[in-house]
Amino acid sequence: MDNIVLLVVLPLLAAFLMPVLARFSEVVARVLGLSVLVFAIAIIINVWPQVNSQATSIAIGGFMPPIGISFYVDQVSILFALAIPVMVLLFWPWQRKTSIREYSLMMLLTASSSGLVLSGDLFNIYVFYELLAVASYSLIAVQGRAVSIAASFRYLLMGSVGSVMMLLGIAIIYTQTGTLNLAHLSLLAPLHLDNMAGLAAFALILVGMGVKAELFPVNNWVPEVYGSVSSNLAALMAGLLSKLAVIVVVRIMVLLFPQPEAMQLMAMLGILGVITGELVAWRARDFVRMLSFSSIGQLGLIFLAFSIPGDTGMMAGIALALHHMVVKPALFMLATGWSGSLENLSGVARRSPLTVLLFVLLILSLLGIPPLPGFWAKYLLMVGLAGQDSAVYTLGMIAVPLAMIVEIAYLFRLVMIMYRKEDTVKVKAHSKWGLAIAASAGAALIAIVLQLQPAGDKLTTLAQQLSDRNYYIMTVFPQFHTAETGMQSIK
Amino acid sequence: MSVLDDLLLFTALASVAIIVVRRFASVSKLSVIVYALATVLLVKMSALGYGGEPIYSSFTLNVLGQNLYWRFDSLSWFFALITVVIALFTSVFMSGAWAEKYCQEHSTEAYGLLQAALVLNVLSMLVLLASGDLLSLFIGWELVSWASFMMMFLNQDKVARKAAIKYIVYAMAAAMSILMAIAMTYSMTGSLDYVQIMQAVAHLSNTQIALLVTLYGVGFGIKMGVIPFHLWQAAAYAETPGPGAVFMGAISARMGLYALIVIVVQIFSLTRVAAIEIPYTFLNMQNILAWVGALTTIIPTYIALKQNDARYLLAWHGVGQGGYMLLGVMIADSIGTAGGIMHVFNYATYQAALFMAVTAVMFRTGTSNFSKLGGLVTQMPLTFMVMVVSIIGLAGIPPMNGFVSKWLVYRALLLDGEPLLFVAAVIGTLGTILSVYKLVHNTFLGQLRLEHQDVKEAPLSMLLPMLGLVLIIFGTGVMPGVVLDWVAAAQNAVGIAPITHNLGGIELAQGGLDMIWVTGVMFYGFAVGAIVFYFLGGKSKHIHQFDNYAGGHFLTSKVRYHYSNHFYAGLMHLIGGWYKDFFKKLEQALVSLVSFLSQLSENFYRSAQPAVLVAAVAFIALWFIMSSFSMPADTGTVAPITQGIQGGLPK
Amino acid sequence: MSMPAIEVVLYTGAIGLSVIGLAGLLLHNNVFRMLLALVMLEAGVNLLLILAGFRLAGVAPIILPEQMHNLSAITMNDPVPQALVLTAIVIGVGVQALGLALIMRIKAQYGTLNMLKIREQLEFDLAVQAEVSTPVSAHSPGSLAQGRVRRHVSEAITQKDEQ
Repeated sequence: MDNIVLLVVLPLLAAFLMPVLARFSEVVARVLGLSVLVFAIAIIINVWPQVNSQATSIAIGGFMPPIGISFYVDQVSILFALAIPVMVLLFWPWQRKTSIREYSLMMLLTASSSGLVLSGDLFNIYVFYELLAVASYSLIAVQGRAVSIAASFRYLLMGSVGSVMMLLGIAIIYTQTGTLNLAHLSLLAPLHLDNMAGLAAFALILVGMGVKAELFPVNNWVPEVYGSVSSNLAALMAGLLSKLAVIVVVRIMVLLFPQPEAMQLMAMLGILGVITGELVAWRARDFVRMLSFSSIGQLGLIFLAFSIPGDTGMMAGIALALHHMVVKPALFMLATGWSGSLENLSGVARRSPLTVLLFVLLILSLLGIPPLPGFWAKYLLMVGLAGQDSAVYTLGMIAVPLAMIVEIAYLFRLVMIMYRKEDTVKVKAHSKWGLAIAASAGAALIAIVLQLQPAGDKLTTLAQQLSDRNYYIMTVFPQFHTAETGMQSIK
Repeated sequence: MSVLDDLLLFTALASVAIIVVRRFASVSKLSVIVYALATVLLVKMSALGYGGEPIYSSFTLNVLGQNLYWRFDSLSWFFALITVVIALFTSVFMSGAWAEKYCQEHSTEAYGLLQAALVLNVLSMLVLLASGDLLSLFIGWELVSWASFMMMFLNQDKVARKAAIKYIVYAMAAAMSILMAIAMTYSMTGSLDYVQIMQAVAHLSNTQIALLVTLYGVGFGIKMGVIPFHLWQAAAYAETPGPGAVFMGAISARMGLYALIVIVVQIFSLTRVAAIEIPYTFLNMQNILAWVGALTTIIPTYIALKQNDARYLLAWHGVGQGGYMLLGVMIADSIGTAGGIMHVFNYATYQAALFMAVTAVMFRTGTSNFSKLGGLVTQMPLTFMVMVVSIIGLAGIPPMNGFVSKWLVYRALLLDGEPLLFVAAVIGTLGTILSVYKLVHNTFLGQLRLEHQDVKEAPLSMLLPMLGLVLIIFGTGVMPGVVLDWVAAAQNAVGIAPITHNLGGIELAQGGLDMIWVTGVMFYGFAVGAIVFYFLGGKSKHIHQFDNYAGGHFLTSKVRYHYSNHFYAGLMHLIGGWYKDFFKKLEQALVSLVSFLSQLSENFYRSAQPAVLVAAVAFIALWFIMSSFSMPADTGTVAPITQGIQGGLPK
Repeated sequence: MSMPAIEVVLYTGAIGLSVIGLAGLLLHNNVFRMLLALVMLEAGVNLLLILAGFRLAGVAPIILPEQMHNLSAITMNDPVPQALVLTAIVIGVGVQALGLALIMRIKAQYGTLNMLKIREQLEFDLAVQAEVSTPVSAHSPGSLAQGRVRRHVSEAITQKDEQ
């Protein structure tokens, strides 16, 4: 179990070893990176059954929490930890001949994002978040296009201010409680964080993390960055990194800030994200820009779902996040051939009918058409929203359907263009690899439709683990039998 | 395995088979066999038509704590019978000569896709009709929507595509409205099962019921094309390839009515809906729904009056006829509901026949534009006969079946004391009569155009289903009891007192209707007229079509005289000012609003300083802190690390 | 709650530094100045964090063996914020270095350090790359950019700036 730590350590080591090794043999350096990723997947598969039965907390270096730093592994975090090496492998820059630096940065990305989902204390979350940020700024900048430098810098400014805000939030939490361990904080939270200062801390962390998670007011880097990087990186950022940030925010919110104001703040920002994202996507005239704004909209939905108190909201959030994690990268992979103006896609269905059918399948799921998986996620979201009394959720209840109507309008406008009689011959060929990924995403969607019942059960377990505060506390501090005894011993 | 399982499984397998063999010519025969067998399976279930117990499917699905199941009751069976029979007629219609021509003009593949779309439509409708709870209802609903979209999508013309995308946006709005309603139903009643919801409805407040009925009503109403959601339907249905238009025009939009009956009539019950008073008006919720129905009979019918294309005229009519059904169902007594439900059947028969006739005309002449037609009665007499019988039905004139259902609706309105609604329905009927006359006149009457001189009668494969439908229209007109049996069973299934009827019509204390008598008297009158005319000295003379004159001059046969432009000029002079395109402008205004909001949001995303927003949020947060942050005192509030958990110290 | 004067000064300074940094980010268009403002903002927040763990008359947080039995009697400075700040400073420096490198590349490519012009050019380049000839909604109200035309104007301004 302790070898979970290797998920962070090995890629980190590899990231720094690779440039050095490349001086002697570039091939060895490249193989090193890939073998580390494969090894990481093997580790996760190895511990999977263990985690499925019982969540674990791993104290690094034998120092017990709250003094030592710890990793927390449950079904949610292991699922996302598995997604990281898998998706990095899938979106590894295979197609381009590129410098060893980019590979090294990819490994840094892997290490930091694994650390981010597994970390059990705020301090490490901050550190890994910053590492992740640096890795992604650099990855954007090494894309080798003129625009990517400027996009990267603008993202950097935003991201750094965001991290400072997050640091400030962590500082407030620390001054209020005197600890940074999540489980310990969770014990103290009802006493020390259920106040205005705690709320401010949550707002700051939300805004800081939100930069990565494409949260509403801090996401105007999205179109620039996704437009200026390769589809692979865009798929990785939209599909994986944004979800990781969301999951971490949700974990912090569940453990530290159960007050309704925190949830409503997140819900409000989520709603604004859905509305503005979908509305701007409606005006987009090229494929990647459309996908970028649609991604903002979907992330807004995810935030809205997670902000709903109770298990239904949690389930909706996880379902939407996982669904978006499958669909959006697949769409970005289709963008390898279809980047550029939407008008260029005129009549593309005659040329490649199966690819267009795949695209239609993906967007149908994105729109939530039954019985595709997207529908069940949206159904859970609506049921969750309907169960709440607060005005902000009612607003969400109205905003989400309206946004979906706008979404179907622009997505099917594109489908109409694709099925036109006139053929513009301007389309590039898709990369075979990208097409394969998109096709397997489509196959995954259909597989879930055929296995709805087990998928629903798994989702329920995930949601319960993510929303269960006591379970987290008792996993980290097995000496307490209930959260109440823990609270008393703290007092 | 129940019969329902057989039916659904058979249709699903048939869909797969048809999709597989879509490139072969045999697909047309296959589809005819498929619908015939499906009809046989429905006949096996015919106990449902006479009040049998619901048949459950053995397939259920348990997902996310909801138990989804499928079943057929009398109402579903009634709708399913119409669906499958119309599909059978359509498939015969499109199997022979029409198929050859379509394959030549497009491709075998395109024809196969049309067949596939048809069978998918039938399958999805059966799934919808079989739904046993709200979630399976929604799944079926969406399947129907997308199957219709697929059908519309087969026409590649720009106009058709525009209509299709408009449809899909409306359909999404409908779906979202229903999804919202389902979610709210679940949160209010804690269940999605019909029976449990029915029990819980008693505890809901009026406001809650009103909200739910509005949301469901909007959702199902969009599919039916009721006011103010009527704009999408006509173009979308009219532009669908011929037989597709026959099928969709006849039954597709009625799925909205089915769902509305299940939800509003069966689950919420109209007495409950009627108890909801709308503040500051003299109306209640039920009146509102009835008025929506009444307006739907009027406005689209008068829009149909202005159409200059036979397909569009019929499709607009279809929207208007939906209003009668809604109106009938919303009257809530056994007569009105019977009229509304029966009208679904009657309407399906004559609308299918009319669309077939128009498609046959298009098949022979290549156009459905009134300005390019006329005088075809000499060339296509049988098709003319079909159209005349059908428009008699559509206009609600005895002895055809349309008369019976409209009579029921009028009767119920009068008995119920709704004179205003009655007047509205009559105004709608007036528009119907005017516009169906326009249809038959501009297509078949007047002088034949030069280019149509060698047009032949429609081929047999197309004539047969048309004539079959004519027989049904006349037969159920004379003997409405056949259909009323099924209608009464359906009424019983949704909890309304079934109508008392016999083979010839309706038995009522205040004066019933016996169509056998009515028809008998009519034909007796005709017979008397014929005797007077032919045998008692009536003189008649055959006049050739071109033997006429205008302004004292004989017209040469080179100039073909056919009045189709500015039809009803005099009437339009009177009512033309009422056509203001209000709803169209409303729709455009909505699109402009979205566009404006979109630009606004886009400008937000174009802000120059990426950090501005972060800073802005941070300022607000800092303000929070300054206003509430108590500075930590020297030692007190900060819990020193050692104070924590002793077990956590390094080992 | 009264606070020692020294703490008031320190807190005011830390918050003031952050505010100055934020204001700099907001008010300047020059990317280099924006980066410097970011540095100040980070410094301010770091200072705030240090203060959170600081005790007047506190000693270094090293626990001697003989003090183990009587830990609550001594006033120690809290080490955790210090560790946090140390990390934050290191990361901050890294990010700033990256930012500076990017600024140099931007200057080389765009010939300007003005954020408005960079944004404008970036938008234009993205639109061209996507084969959507002019920037999307270049003519929408409230926007500073006017697409292609504006590009030449901005070049002229840049030259003027450099003189």
